[in-house]
Amino acid sequence: MVRTVLVCLGLAWGSYGAAHWLTHDFSAWTAEGARRLEVELQPVTAPPVQVDGPHIAGGNLARLLGDGQSVTVLDFVYTRCPSVCLSLGTAFQQMQASLELAHATAPRSQRVRLMSISFDGQHDTVPVLADYAARMGARAPQWQFLRVPRAQELAQLLARFQVVVVPDAWGGLEHNAAILVVDPHGRLVRIFDYGQQQLALDFALHLAERIAP
Amino acid sequence: MRPPDRAPRRAPLLAAVALLLLLALPVVRHSLEARMTLHMLVQFPLLVWAGWLLATALPGEWVRRLNAFNVHGLAGLLFIALVLAVWMVPRALDLSLVDTRIESAKGIAWALVGLALRLSWRQAGLVLQGFFLGNVLPMTAVAGYLYENAPVRVCNAYLQDDQVQLGRTLTWLSLSIAAWWMAGMFRALMRAESHPGVTPFDAQ
Repeated sequence: MVRTVLVCLGLAWGSYGAAHWLTHDFSAWTAEGARRLEVELQPVTAPPVQVDGPHIAGGNLARLLGDGQSVTVLDFVYTRCPSVCLSLGTAFQQMQASLELAHATAPRSQRVRLMSISFDGQHDTVPVLADYAARMGARAPQWQFLRVPRAQELAQLLARFQVVVVPDAWGGLEHNAAILVVDPHGRLVRIFDYGQQQLALDFALHLAERIAP
Repeated sequence: MRPPDRAPRRAPLLAAVALLLLLALPVVRHSLEARMTLHMLVQFPLLVWAGWLLATALPGEWVRRLNAFNVHGLAGLLFIALVLAVWMVPRALDLSLVDTRIESAKGIAWALVGLALRLSWRQAGLVLQGFFLGNVLPMTAVAGYLYENAPVRVCNAYLQDDQVQLGRTLTWLSLSIAAWWMAGMFRALMRAESHPGVTPFDAQ
């Protein structure tokens, strides 16, 4: 019986350890929760993938994000998206309007920019993105649309930022939509829900305040 | 359990190994993991079945030795309850899809659940079985309820309707197992009443 009790204690201890690790000390139960927590604890550097878009002929995403002068509020979308990307689009429209208003009174707000990256590289060509940006009322360079033309590099970017895209039953793509904030060093530092655009914007403005002139 | 002098049985051993190898094939793995419902309600039970077959193939001597660490099936049932609890955490499912270490740990854990079930269930008797089920079934039903009613997707890799279906099935499954076990228990009680020499708490 003693041996059985010892085995039971060992099992209980082992599974406590496993659950503790799995849930980040019982604070994140989903992969999305863990992703947000991990980013806060350990910022994730953007990979040096090639991007292009209606207002960017071509460039390196890591260099673009890590220009040392701008804080980027970022989201991942696809233009055929009928639901969650539109909510994100609305959040971005509101942030764009807030930023444009703030430009007159708070010059540092000019250092915050908005960026939407498409993960549907096959469909979302540069003209499609330009058309979508126009429909969303995006005004470059305040709000830019980009894509990652090479599939392998796109997969690398999505994996690095833990963006998971799953085909749904209606030919669309389900994805863990969120608002991502990238600091001037090109590091993803915080992830917000798409309903938290004000919080995301305030956080980005706070980061912008700290950029050396 | 089996008489101690019994030689290891080859057929279940081969079947268990074949099943485990089949489940490890990438094409089988990916198709079983394509949906949350298949992942939890087909892949996990198949792994458990492989472990169960493995246990039936164990030599009697091994079983006797293991039993010394598993009096009344206590350690085995505790292990099963803990594995079940850990794998109810949605992050575990998502992680197993992207991290081969977690995927391997999952395979080993669920096969061991089958092994533990075979080595512990009868030994436990009605009282411990009832206590075990009284813990794990409500937990499973609550997890099922949460999956079904969560307003968001709990796994990044799976769709919401899949999650709802899984949740509903988990709830019904735990209710069915409870009903099935209670039917068996009442049958044992009634048998004991008609045969005064037998107690219902003898192994079923």
